[in-house]
Amino acid sequence: MKLNTKDLLSAGLFIVFAVVALWLNQDHNLGTARRMGPGYMPMLTFWLLIGLGSIVLATGLFSGPDPLAKWTSAEIGFLIAGAVVGVAAGMIAARIPGFPSSGWNALGIGMFVGCLVAAIPPGWRALFLPSAAFTLFGLVLEPLGFLVAITLTVICSAFADREHLERPLGVAGLCAFLCALCWAIFIRYLDIRVPLWPQL
Amino acid sequence: MELIANLAHGFGVALTFNNLLFCLIGCIIGTAIGVLPGIGPVATISLLLPITFGQPATTAIIMLAGIYYGAQYGGSTTAILLNLPGEVSSVVTTLEGYKMARRGRAGAALTVAAVASFFAGCVSTVLVAASGPLLTSVALSFGPADYFSLMLLGLIISAVLAQGSVVKSIGMVVFGVALGLVGTDVQTGQQRFTFGIPELSDGVGFVSIAMGMFGIAEIILNLEKPEARSVMSGKVGSLMMTREEVRRSIPSVLRGTTVGSLLGILPGGGAALASFGSYMMERKVSKGRHEFGTGAIEGVAGPESANNAASQTSFIPLLTLGIPANAVMALMVGALIIQGIQPGPRMVEAQPDLFWGLIASMWLGNLMLLIINLPMIGVWVKLLAVPYRHMYPSILVFCAIGVYSLQNNVFDVYQTVFFGLFGYLCSKLRLEPAPMLIGFVLGPMMEEHLRRAMLLSRGDPMVFVQRPISATMLAIGAIALIAMLMPNIRKGKDKALQE
Repeated sequence: MKLNTKDLLSAGLFIVFAVVALWLNQDHNLGTARRMGPGYMPMLTFWLLIGLGSIVLATGLFSGPDPLAKWTSAEIGFLIAGAVVGVAAGMIAARIPGFPSSGWNALGIGMFVGCLVAAIPPGWRALFLPSAAFTLFGLVLEPLGFLVAITLTVICSAFADREHLERPLGVAGLCAFLCALCWAIFIRYLDIRVPLWPQL
Repeated sequence: MELIANLAHGFGVALTFNNLLFCLIGCIIGTAIGVLPGIGPVATISLLLPITFGQPATTAIIMLAGIYYGAQYGGSTTAILLNLPGEVSSVVTTLEGYKMARRGRAGAALTVAAVASFFAGCVSTVLVAASGPLLTSVALSFGPADYFSLMLLGLIISAVLAQGSVVKSIGMVVFGVALGLVGTDVQTGQQRFTFGIPELSDGVGFVSIAMGMFGIAEIILNLEKPEARSVMSGKVGSLMMTREEVRRSIPSVLRGTTVGSLLGILPGGGAALASFGSYMMERKVSKGRHEFGTGAIEGVAGPESANNAASQTSFIPLLTLGIPANAVMALMVGALIIQGIQPGPRMVEAQPDLFWGLIASMWLGNLMLLIINLPMIGVWVKLLAVPYRHMYPSILVFCAIGVYSLQNNVFDVYQTVFFGLFGYLCSKLRLEPAPMLIGFVLGPMMEEHLRRAMLLSRGDPMVFVQRPISATMLAIGAIALIAMLMPNIRKGKDKALQE
């Protein structure tokens, strides 16, 4: 048998998603074909997805080989570690009164920490450092303000490219440039409602 | 003539200072991102969606449209000069265009690309103007069942024409429809799949999906593979074309415009498909076909006119039927809905400013692009000196601010990160994000029409085959699906899309 790993994983994604969603859909009234309830269209959609997933699964058994890129054991390890630590950090943050547990901050903290942990092996940096940087923006924007958020996002994402590390001045210049540009566009011209400076 | 009166009205709208300014801004941004590899129109438009909220709907759409067709102009510049397609739609331009540049005819190639695009833009604008009211009157006789089948057809064709496995693409369409189910059920008000999160009661954020899957995922993929930039091949040289070159390009431009206009209207079509189609055609039928591979001007003129024609005619299904033909049009639907306009056949009548203003602005935009691109070519080439390591943090920051400012809610920011990671996973599994986005946009509309149609038919599903319009749509969809399951045709498609 020539296994097509990409197809098998895609099929798995479709089927697992659809089965979980079908289970969740039990909460909704199906209604009849004439008077469809809120659950009717979801039911059709998910069954269709299961069907399509099964076709992909069946063809994927023979259409390969199409393996995924090889992961090193460090990459797999830190991916799992990132997920575990991220969830743990989020749950801990949700219990700390004040900033960590207010609003969506616990979610943000969990995602940020998880992405950072997963970014430890070099192979994952391109994937998880920009994600971490983006999350960080959401996390610090309201308490620390627009300019600090931009600066931290640029610095955090800069670690994803090795060339940046050799030219710290370039990163500083980019921060200054983006702060000025974004201030002009978003604050001055579009007048969006965000705090500019840290809220003490 | 009603058409002329309407067009005059459109020019009145498009020629106001504000609209002219934003048309220009859109064209400039479009050219810039067309020149720059690593960022495409889908990512840019989703990035700029939040910025357009403060403006009137017409101005917003004029600017976003300018980005899309502007990118077709800009993409050809780098393709010709650096053998580096700035956009997918200019991949084929590299084949002959770069060879022309190597022969010292870079200037002529740039001129023919810009002029061909301009000509195609003018023709297709007229086509949009003429077909709009015509199709609208047809569309007004559509019942809910016909709409449902039409949308189904659109989804099938967009999946069939996507790259890679058809079944997986259809899976992604259905996946998109499934994501579109999240939120409040329109008819009963019941919350579906919201997990008690208030932010999800309006559905999953459209901008978050688009930005995550097209913006952030693209950054990650670009960072993974090291930068490869070739050196510019000599000087641009004279922009003037020889008489011989003009004579050879004219039939190609005409054919390219025709092919492009047709493939643009097709659901799932658009600029990329059109330029491929035109290139294949030129290689088979043009008089200079024996010169292909050594820098034949037909291979630049045809595809460049085709991609620009398609980028404009792909507005036809959106403006007349409310059905997006590709991912960019799905973003336009998003922009319209956020502005409070439901795309559909009544849009031409209800929003004459928008419809006719957009058409007039397309023509003006093409004129602007001709001027922006030809004499100022040096400026755009310099843009390539900006390394990607400076671009990607900037894109991230713009995305982050944009997505936050949608509703001043950080939940949207985290949602975007999630879709960025998901988009990365999809690209590793060779699952296409574009069909998913179209499914997401069309899903809620399809559900509404399905429920209405079944209510009217008293629960009889035969209504979809009994109504002639609906039955025709379903038949075409079935044929397209069966055709793709035939090994010969599928191989032909894969070959065409890979080259």
